[in-house]
Amino acid sequence: MKLIVTKILLGLTMLLFILNVQTGYAQQTTTTPQPTAQDTLMDRITALEQQAFQQKRGEDHFMVVGLTTFGLVTNATTNTLAGASTTTRSSTFGNGDTYEFSPMLLWRHGNKFLMEFEPSFNNDGLSVNWADISYFAAPGLIIRAGYMVLPFGIYNKRLAAGWIDKLATDPIGLDIPVSTDYGFEIMGGLPLGDMKWSYDVGVFNGMQLLPDGQLQGAGITDNNINKTFSGRIGLLPLSNSALEFGFSALTGKVGDEGSMYANSKANMYAFDVSYIQPIRPFTVNIKGQFNIMNVDRANYVNPNDSTQSYTYNNHSTSGFAQISVRPAFVDNILKNFEVAYRYASSITPAMSDWGQNQTQSTIGVAYWINWRTVLKLSHEIINTNSTVNPGIVPYGGITNSNSWYIQFSIQL
Amino acid sequence: MKTFNKKHIMGILVATVGVLLLFISVSGCFVSEKVAAKSGAQLWAENCQRCHNMPSPATFSPDQWEIVGMHMQTRAQLTNQERDKIVEFLKQ
Repeated sequence: MKLIVTKILLGLTMLLFILNVQTGYAQQTTTTPQPTAQDTLMDRITALEQQAFQQKRGEDHFMVVGLTTFGLVTNATTNTLAGASTTTRSSTFGNGDTYEFSPMLLWRHGNKFLMEFEPSFNNDGLSVNWADISYFAAPGLIIRAGYMVLPFGIYNKRLAAGWIDKLATDPIGLDIPVSTDYGFEIMGGLPLGDMKWSYDVGVFNGMQLLPDGQLQGAGITDNNINKTFSGRIGLLPLSNSALEFGFSALTGKVGDEGSMYANSKANMYAFDVSYIQPIRPFTVNIKGQFNIMNVDRANYVNPNDSTQSYTYNNHSTSGFAQISVRPAFVDNILKNFEVAYRYASSITPAMSDWGQNQTQSTIGVAYWINWRTVLKLSHEIINTNSTVNPGIVPYGGITNSNSWYIQFSIQL
Repeated sequence: MKTFNKKHIMGILVATVGVLLLFISVSGCFVSEKVAAKSGAQLWAENCQRCHNMPSPATFSPDQWEIVGMHMQTRAQLTNQERDKIVEFLKQ
């Protein structure tokens, strides 16, 4: 009994001790000063600062840009043959020159890699403008591989986009038979004292010679074991980069492996010039390119009798010269207008079944809504004189095409 | 014939790369003081309008300008110094 009483007393003593300790702690806690609103705010700012400091930017970045172009074209085409003329008229939203929707996806992987992919919905349906990867190997040295615009001239690579082009159409005949191809290239821009120079050379699948002597892209599977070399060298002789001269060359066999055209070769050259200069009160912009295309002489299949053949000098030329003038040094609405004129010519082989001489004269005014959004009004006349071999295909006569374009283009 | 073609292609390729690397190594260091002293704003004004209107710095975020700078270097073949200065200007 005595033992039980002792245990109860001991238990009560411990309970009182614990209660006493807790009460003392509570008394101490209640005596600690409560944090003020300012303390809470400072704690929050400190936490946010730590969070911002610790946030990683990451190495990979992705963005979507692109462009869209649409418009209206009205056309009247008159063909004169054997003294008789026939005229056809059309008015349509969108054609190869006036409709395009092309989002472009760009991935940057660190500071060394860039991937570009531009699908396009246009008059040809869905297609791909380019899909390539670039490796920025060293200052002045970029290595690219994939499906890309050939380094040949300046128009296709730099000036063709609707939001860049000051006129609604492209120059005729300027597209070489394959302007985009599979392969790889090296390129770069480098200083040269006060001047600057650039290079862009590559190896590609190349082109395929067709039975009538025309060329088309070989596609993703090459039609022979040879590769096509294409390259451009540019020189910017002025320290302000206002003037640029370019020379391009392309060479490669174009015949199918094992075919009668196996040794046929295509050689192409292009000269280009670009000059932009403020001449008060305007900014004057001049662009030009001239292409020469030669394919080795060969015997081509007569489309009327496949047992017969014929031949011709497979030589083509094309080129354009453009000048545009935009008011500068003014601070009114006039600064948003730009007037442009372009003359282009395309001559395909005479005595072939696709021979013609074409001239294109285009004039227009562009209203720049902002630096990458433009509304254009253009007028274009194209004169075509058939130079086909009348023994192979009927003579096409003289054709005059007269068109008006209203076009809107934006880079997104 | 096939062997000749492969050798021919490889020869041209190696020669081209060799010549270009020589040019790069020689001319890559040769920039005048006048050009080296140019600001990003000046280079932006001089180079962008070679093809299109000068872009507004407000168009893209700093990270996006980094991407656009790389993309434009493959189009206009800007030098590295030009690209870096122009991008820094546009990021501000």
